[in-house]
Amino acid sequence: MSGGLVMVMVSVSIGLGAVALLALLWGLRTGQFDDQSKFINAVHFDDEEALRDAAMMEQKRKEAQERRKNSGKKMPE
Amino acid sequence: MSKRRCDHCQLLYEEAVLLCDETVGEPRFFCCKGCQGVYHLLQSEGLESFYDKLGGQSITPPETPLASGLEKFDLDKFKERYIKVNDEGFCEISLIIEGIHCAACVWLNEKVLFQKEGVLEASINGTSHKARIVWDSEATSLSSIIQTIRAIGYNAHPYDPKLQEEHANAARREYYSRLLVGVFATMNIMWIAIAQYAGYFTGMRGDIKSVLNFAEFVLATPALFYTGWVYYRGAYYGFKHGYVSMDTLIATGASLAYGFSLYAMFSGNGETYFDSVTMIVTFVFAGKYLEVLTKKRAVDTLDAMIGSLPTEVTVIRDGEKILLHVEEVQAGDVIEVRPGEKVVIDGVVLSGEASFDESSLTGESEPKLKGQKEAILSGSICLDSVVRYEASATHQGSILSKIVTLLEVSMTKKPRIEQLANSIAGKFSLVVLSIALLTFIGWFIVSGSFETALVVAISVIVIACPCALGLATPVATLVGLGVGAQKGVLFKEASFLENMAKSRVLLLDKTGTLTEGRPKVKEAWIDPACEVDVLYALLGTSSHPVSQGVREYLEEHTLALKEATLLDVEVVEAKGVQAKWKEHAIAGGSGRLMEELGIAHERVGATHYLFSCDGVVLARFALEDTPKKDAKAVLAHLQKMNIKVEMLTGDNETAAWKVAREVGITQVRHSLFPHEKAAVVEEYQAKGVHVVMAGDGINDTLALSQADIAIAMGEGADVAVSASDVVLLNDSLKSLEDAFLVSRKTYRTIKQNIGFSLLYNVTTVPLAVLGFVNPMIAAISMSLSSLVVIGNAMRIRTMLKKGK
Repeated sequence: MSGGLVMVMVSVSIGLGAVALLALLWGLRTGQFDDQSKFINAVHFDDEEALRDAAMMEQKRKEAQERRKNSGKKMPE
Repeated sequence: MSKRRCDHCQLLYEEAVLLCDETVGEPRFFCCKGCQGVYHLLQSEGLESFYDKLGGQSITPPETPLASGLEKFDLDKFKERYIKVNDEGFCEISLIIEGIHCAACVWLNEKVLFQKEGVLEASINGTSHKARIVWDSEATSLSSIIQTIRAIGYNAHPYDPKLQEEHANAARREYYSRLLVGVFATMNIMWIAIAQYAGYFTGMRGDIKSVLNFAEFVLATPALFYTGWVYYRGAYYGFKHGYVSMDTLIATGASLAYGFSLYAMFSGNGETYFDSVTMIVTFVFAGKYLEVLTKKRAVDTLDAMIGSLPTEVTVIRDGEKILLHVEEVQAGDVIEVRPGEKVVIDGVVLSGEASFDESSLTGESEPKLKGQKEAILSGSICLDSVVRYEASATHQGSILSKIVTLLEVSMTKKPRIEQLANSIAGKFSLVVLSIALLTFIGWFIVSGSFETALVVAISVIVIACPCALGLATPVATLVGLGVGAQKGVLFKEASFLENMAKSRVLLLDKTGTLTEGRPKVKEAWIDPACEVDVLYALLGTSSHPVSQGVREYLEEHTLALKEATLLDVEVVEAKGVQAKWKEHAIAGGSGRLMEELGIAHERVGATHYLFSCDGVVLARFALEDTPKKDAKAVLAHLQKMNIKVEMLTGDNETAAWKVAREVGITQVRHSLFPHEKAAVVEEYQAKGVHVVMAGDGINDTLALSQADIAIAMGEGADVAVSASDVVLLNDSLKSLEDAFLVSRKTYRTIKQNIGFSLLYNVTTVPLAVLGFVNPMIAAISMSLSSLVVIGNAMRIRTMLKKGK
């Protein structure tokens, strides 16, 4: 076996593992594992409705920010 | 009569007591108006899938009235303290939500908050029940958000996240990331190392070897500099304050081995030791991580307790009721407490009479009746009527906030024995490092070759690496902890095993620790003419522990009990209950109640219950808080193990001695307040004795946090559990004995292990200094010594099984 081949195999396998590790660390940083019970149970409630809720919350946030901006612009007048 | 579940809270009730509601198609049954209200709300909001998600689990029926005390959430003082305005100008608050049982509850709360106008973000932690809510203050207010939560049957308290939580959380998250990187590197470096070792003995081509070396280098670098950062930090602080610690040795050992491996990798001479570097760093780090984890749990419980304390009180000024923040109340203000409220400021009663539950302070299960001019203490709960009292201290000066402050302080300064262990390891490290340095200089002079000198010096460090010494304690304690857990004894930190093994004094609380904590009927006399069903129903109207004790007794001894229907039920404060049954006037309660009603009765023991019908006593019960069954045997064993046992209690002298004699305790201190219990612990500590304190209530918490080892009994108050070092899961005293056994066996094994590893180092280091050992062999023998230590630790398990 050539040294080059070994190098490719080793780097690919460690690289793949590192990608998974980084993803895990990212999840940890953003607080996705802070709540064990939710992490386990929330799977049951993860459906279309949850997605709709998430979209709705985003919409609400945008609207509120919009309102802020508008009222902020009007203030100086 | 058939039983049926309430359609909202799923608790089981007699069908007759349930409210029937036929407004929504098929009839629905509810245990109370609260449940009915929530059910209708969920129906109208289209959230009935909550009940499917609940999956048959029961929840608590709603209790808090919708609008009570809401105004306080919009006070400026409150906003200043709890509400944070984020960068975008939205408000943010941290709440603790009461009444969450399961994932469905979390789902419902989040869902309702999502639907609320103006709420921009809501996330609830299902484990700690802490919620973070972001809202637009132009669209809604906090009081209306809290009202929404209450409307679906939960309640929310604000808490200050800056207190402890954020700090502990960040530390935990950081340590977890570091551990993950370390574990990842270790796992991967192990399989590469296997190839390396095989190649060492069977031969390997140079180019393949350098590929493997480089892969190891890539893995070892983050492990050493990211995971191992804590050692560098520890070593740096040590250096700054002029001491050498285990951290220093690990940091120097690991960096030297790393540096040499770098040299070997690039020069192509000699072996690399990246695998040893990674493993040493990761394994020792795992132990540190466990410590951080336990700290976080304690903080969670403390926050929950502080969160449930009222932050506002009703003060009467100029004949008007106003709501004031507790910090603003001055001594001399008149405060009003209503039934069910917790007193937060000490004071003296001005008008009214009510019974107060002081169990969280004194541990006594019986509520106390307080009339005019009597002192009430913060921490007690007003049970049955409205009382006005004059504050005798400020909030800061009150007993309750003193206890909370002390707890906060004690929680941050727990580790003691570890520093000692570290200082020993530190001296050891210093010796090893100097020997290695001398070896290097000596070999450099003798052989004249820098490389040879460095290889020998590294061999010395690697072979003397305190792995065995470092593992000696953690592995043995790990096994000890495991055996303990099997027996229902949880040690919160490894070092507590050691502390406990050294203890010679055991201090015990009475109520709930030595005794069952609930009064039980000792003697009963029931007139044949007595209608037991009526008595049973009357007992059901009171939640007083004495009534509950008698009720339990009736359930055990009488067949086919049915609750009779009573009319005009009237609770007489702290004395008993009066009611009407058919045409008869009935009453049940203490002798004082009978005297007031002018009913002749016989005197019975201190805790008793009398039942009368139309002025004639028909039943008498004498109750007693009985000692736990195994108390006597366990205490005898403990005394045989050369442990001095003493009882500390807030109860009076006769009650204390009675129990003491029954269980065979000869030393008793009675009528103690929480801080006096702590003083007793201190008194022993001043004599240099290690003290174990076992208790269950908030009244023991101070003493618990003062003691070297604090043991909370299984059903104890949450605060007591979080202040304790050892938790007994099955609430039996037998596990207290087990705790002593496990800790002593473990401690002995630790001493053997340390002895062995020191012996190992004493024999191998000279060999290494003389150059008989190359780094490879050094690493192998180091691993072998670790295995011996681990094997010895495993014996704890078998030793304890034989002991059974």
